[in-house]
Amino acid sequence: MSEWLENHLPKMVLAPSFIAVLVFVYGFIGWTAWVSLTRSKLLPRYEIHGFIQYDRLFASPRWDTAMNNLFIFGALFIVIAMVLGLLLAIMLDQKIRTEGVIRTIYLYPMALSMIVTGTAWKWILNPGLGIEATVRGWGFENFSFDWVVNPDFAIYTIVLAAVWQSSGFVMALFLAGLRSVDGEIIKAAQVDGIPTWRIYTAIIIPSMAPIFLSAFIVLAHLAIKSFDLVIALTGGGPGYATDLPATYMYAMAFSRGDIGQAASSAMIMMLVVFAIVVPYLYSELRAKTDG
Amino acid sequence: MARAVTKQRKTLNTLVAWAVGLLIFFPILWTILTSFKTEAQAINDPPLFLFFDWTLENYGVVQERSDYMRFLWNSIILAGGSTLLGILVAVPAAWSMAFVPSKRTKDILLWMLSTKMLPAVGVLYPIYLLFIELGLLDSRVGLTIVLMLINLPIIVWMLYTYFREIPGEILEAARMDGASLREEILYVLTPMAIPGIASTILLNFILAWNEAFWTLNLTAAKAAPLTAFIASYSSPEGLFYAKLSAASTMAIAPILILGWFSQKQLVRGLTFGAVK
Repeated sequence: MSEWLENHLPKMVLAPSFIAVLVFVYGFIGWTAWVSLTRSKLLPRYEIHGFIQYDRLFASPRWDTAMNNLFIFGALFIVIAMVLGLLLAIMLDQKIRTEGVIRTIYLYPMALSMIVTGTAWKWILNPGLGIEATVRGWGFENFSFDWVVNPDFAIYTIVLAAVWQSSGFVMALFLAGLRSVDGEIIKAAQVDGIPTWRIYTAIIIPSMAPIFLSAFIVLAHLAIKSFDLVIALTGGGPGYATDLPATYMYAMAFSRGDIGQAASSAMIMMLVVFAIVVPYLYSELRAKTDG
Repeated sequence: MARAVTKQRKTLNTLVAWAVGLLIFFPILWTILTSFKTEAQAINDPPLFLFFDWTLENYGVVQERSDYMRFLWNSIILAGGSTLLGILVAVPAAWSMAFVPSKRTKDILLWMLSTKMLPAVGVLYPIYLLFIELGLLDSRVGLTIVLMLINLPIIVWMLYTYFREIPGEILEAARMDGASLREEILYVLTPMAIPGIASTILLNFILAWNEAFWTLNLTAAKAAPLTAFIASYSSPEGLFYAKLSAASTMAIAPILILGWFSQKQLVRGLTFGAVK
């Protein structure tokens, strides 16, 4: 008995987690996929009607705005957060005093809910109260910063807040990368009189390629999932100028009573994530078998 | 890249890093400062930074008007409950993967972690319907289970990276001395695993505390935690900045303090073990 237990216990204790994730994630995704093929409105219906929901989705100007926003927001957010994160990491790597404290401060935005810190951002971005009012108070009467209420620019305020939230986190990833670069190579390069910026661009940054990849994956999936950020800052407005796929889906499911649309939009989001994550997982698995 | 740096240079770098830190910290600091102003001072033009009449009345009003303590209590129960439940399920799984690895272990781990990347909206509606069916909507029990499930992959992953750091030789030595599986777990593994488990609890508590997507969608009033409270409070904007700031400050204070006293774990947790 005890020998049998010792052989099988490892598998048995793993099973609950495994099954929980399997059912919770894939079971319910399967349900969503099914419903996305029906004519469900306020209540789910289960007779399959083909791709009508997807046709409606792609014909919807609101969904169009949401997808456009996702690409603008995603591209800007990922690039800016990575550049800032790298610069912050290089700065912190210059033998700073009280480094531990500073790292924590940089990471705080990531540890706090955007729903909560959104209050401060609303104030900062509010034309009558925040940056605009402050700069005008300094004597620049014509200064204008009304992005948050301007349909053409509101999406950039989401980028701003998202970058604020994540760049400390990206910094921490890059800092770990910088610390793992072989010090001998750098010393050799310094002895050869190679200027510091060349050491960074030619030796250090190329050797951190895997970190760039993981940072990209993390930021990309954060961008696609972004929900509370929009809810906290603009609520999708003005109009639906800052709708993202997640808020579109939310609006369809809970205020429009259109489950079919909600399900089909969720499936498209899912496909976008899969398109990014699957190649990454594949490369991770292959790297493992090669090594 | 560690380099030799002169003393002045080091001081300058530190100052710059702190200046950037202050900039990053500003929105948080501003929320805290605003919570001590009167409503009129909060929307004063130009903004008042430090020289205003500090007052505590916002905190009293927030509690009085909207029963803040109930939301706080919900947050504590939800974050604490889902964390403990998750640890109970995940410790055996992570233990098994770290100490009795099979060929598939790495695949299973990566697969579990990958599910965390999928957007939650894909499973929202079926769970919503299930909750209506089971009468779990706006209940603490239901939300605790959901919060546990969404964070389970991260808990397993974190525990796994910690358990992997426990040297296998110690286990072998214990086995050589004739320790049984039970003794091995009880006297050798558990004491060495406790720091890792504590860090994982901390990280997961923070994640569950901040969770907004599920709490906004699955609660109404009874089981709503602080995130839902703040979201509902912020609609009549402009008029209640000071009170909203007071509510926000009370919502972030536990995380600010927890994070400060466990800087290392916070950094490691939020980077999924990449930074130690």
